[in-house]
Amino acid sequence: MNEPSSIRTIRDVPASDLYTSGHRTCAGCGAALGYRMLLKAAGPNTVVLGPTGCMYVANGHQFLSSPYAVPWYHTQLGAGGAAGVGTAAAFRILMMKGKRKKEDVNVVVYGGDGGTSDMGFSGLSMAMSYDYRRFLYVLYDNESYANTGIQASSTTPWGASTTFTPPGKIKRTGNPRMKKNVALVIAAHPGVRYVATATLYPPLDFMNKAKKALEADGPAFIHLFVPCPKGWFFDPKYTVDLSKSALEAGLWVSWEYQNGEFSLSYRPEPRKQVGDYLKMQKRFQHLTADQIKEIDRMVTKEWEYWDEMDRQKKIILPWIAPPWT
Amino acid sequence: MISVSRPRVASKSVTRTLPKKHLWTGTRAIAEAVKLADVDVIAAYPIRPYTGVMNSLAKMLADGEFAAEIIGADSEHSQFEIAKHASAVGARTFVGSSGVGLAYAAEPIVVTALGQLPVVALAGCRALDDPGNFGMEWNDVLTFRDHGWLMSWAKDPQEALDMTLVAYRVSEDRRVLLPHFVAVDGAAITHISTPVEPPSKDEVAGFLPPYKPLYPLDPAYGPVTKGQHIAPSLIGPELRKVVDDAMMKARGVIKEAWNDYAARVGREYSPFVETKCVEDAEVALVTMGAYSKDVMHVVQKLREENVKVGVVRLRYFRPFPERELAEALGGVKAAGVIDFSYSFGSPGSSSVLFNEVSSTLYDSGSRPLLLDFMFVGGREPSVRHFEEAVRLLQRGAEGKRVEKHVLWPTLRSENP
Repeated sequence: MNEPSSIRTIRDVPASDLYTSGHRTCAGCGAALGYRMLLKAAGPNTVVLGPTGCMYVANGHQFLSSPYAVPWYHTQLGAGGAAGVGTAAAFRILMMKGKRKKEDVNVVVYGGDGGTSDMGFSGLSMAMSYDYRRFLYVLYDNESYANTGIQASSTTPWGASTTFTPPGKIKRTGNPRMKKNVALVIAAHPGVRYVATATLYPPLDFMNKAKKALEADGPAFIHLFVPCPKGWFFDPKYTVDLSKSALEAGLWVSWEYQNGEFSLSYRPEPRKQVGDYLKMQKRFQHLTADQIKEIDRMVTKEWEYWDEMDRQKKIILPWIAPPWT
Repeated sequence: MISVSRPRVASKSVTRTLPKKHLWTGTRAIAEAVKLADVDVIAAYPIRPYTGVMNSLAKMLADGEFAAEIIGADSEHSQFEIAKHASAVGARTFVGSSGVGLAYAAEPIVVTALGQLPVVALAGCRALDDPGNFGMEWNDVLTFRDHGWLMSWAKDPQEALDMTLVAYRVSEDRRVLLPHFVAVDGAAITHISTPVEPPSKDEVAGFLPPYKPLYPLDPAYGPVTKGQHIAPSLIGPELRKVVDDAMMKARGVIKEAWNDYAARVGREYSPFVETKCVEDAEVALVTMGAYSKDVMHVVQKLREENVKVGVVRLRYFRPFPERELAEALGGVKAAGVIDFSYSFGSPGSSSVLFNEVSSTLYDSGSRPLLLDFMFVGGREPSVRHFEEAVRLLQRGAEGKRVEKHVLWPTLRSENP
């Protein structure tokens, strides 16, 4: 297998954009920025599938414009995995039968956390169990059903205020569930060739992971953490700062898993307190000092596992006593 | 092997081998059609009674009889999505389901038609749950009667095979580009073997050219954006009209396809309706699917008793053959629908097919007495029920009072 071609400096990033003008995402949209980076990494010989979500609703609509300079097809909210498999299967057999020229075509699904970690979970799991090459599923995680008005999904963090989990006079906490670690579940699929997590910062990290994923010779998955000004209530200019801040607070963990080996991509040294990150967003403003301390306790505990995984190069499931115990 | 010395004769009629017939179930016959059509991508998920087709295809592929991607999906929803997206790239696709499986796949089924993708699906008709009914009803497929899928009903494995090949031809025609349900009655066709004579590879190659999509989702073609989110005010009604137009045009394309099929393969079908003894009939039965054969048997028998009865079998439900049906029923005084569907709370508290027949006849010159015989819930009818239906229609045709217009002949309380 060839060494994946990596982007070493920002100057190596292709100047042309395949996700370009013609969309109407919010100012500071992290998912849109992720789209742009992903398609720069994937290049023009790519088909993109977009399950329902922000990146469906906000990328079309007005004047029938399209921001995609590569073939793009919508798929239903829970169908990202199946759409990817159908597309990849078609290319493989058409090339095999000589009905289409043989060449590498990337099939990329860019699905949100609702469509991926909730509704599309079964189909995603199915997709990761097949052997289609150059098939990458990117979960862009803005930690809520953002386009329908910020409802909690199973990747919404504990304590966050959403329209389905508003803090009130009796229920004071906000979201009562802990964030699902989707990438660890995907890593449990024996056929998956590359699993990683990333965020918008540092930008080359995500682009290089996308390149590696597409060249991994089998299904690949990246869980991309994307701040959302609308849903998290922060000034749009801080989107990338929040990505960085989440890494530094240890709340978002950037890692890779390939050929049975785990490695951390970034280790906060020393890890910052979670308070700074939480206080930048109004969705956490109702949390008490004790609750913020509780989150810090959970992150500290979780990092014992991440460090151990990095030492052993193996995945170990983190176990943290839930905040309600 | 016994060798018999035989004079060499040049005459073609003597050396020609008899057409090879196979004893195949409906699902096996359809699998042969899928192979003959050189389908590229097959998406499978098990639910009875349609599953046999996927079992057969998996074995054919394992044995190298033809080449295709076969994907065991995690659900019917994924199954129909796989077919839809493979079709968008330019693959010929096959999928199928039964009963609640079709209900589970409702979302992709609807958008496949709106995406104008010529996916062909087998519907092995089965009652919808609850409670896990294995019986035969049409409501699973008929759930999608309004959504732009072509729908046809076969009466036996031979017709199911022919219909599948014609389905690809009609669906992929650029005047149509709509998905197609080939419906076969659960058990009665899916699981019963009858003699089937498949067309040859060459005959099929001439009839069914390779699928060439108009706007494939392929970088080699260009950056197509498909299914993007729209403002309803911009093109909402136009998007619906496109499907409506395609469905209207399908009528002509279906006729062409069956005529061409007859010319190449030598098996003739009347495209939309099959009739028997309707020319001078006073009463008629209208039906679809496998039980048409029993109905025709009853009609034959009653004709021998000089009962002026005929039968109309609908081969298509979408597009609905309104003109052909009205024409066939033009001379009858009373008609009865042998119906395996229901529509609770519908006009007359009757059924899906009955309402379609009824609205077809509203605009026709003659308005015969119309009765609905609902064989619902999966309890099998017998020829006795069809005979009694004719007797009741006769009473109506004679001007005698018929109290109930909607009957449930297999319901216990109505038949103690």
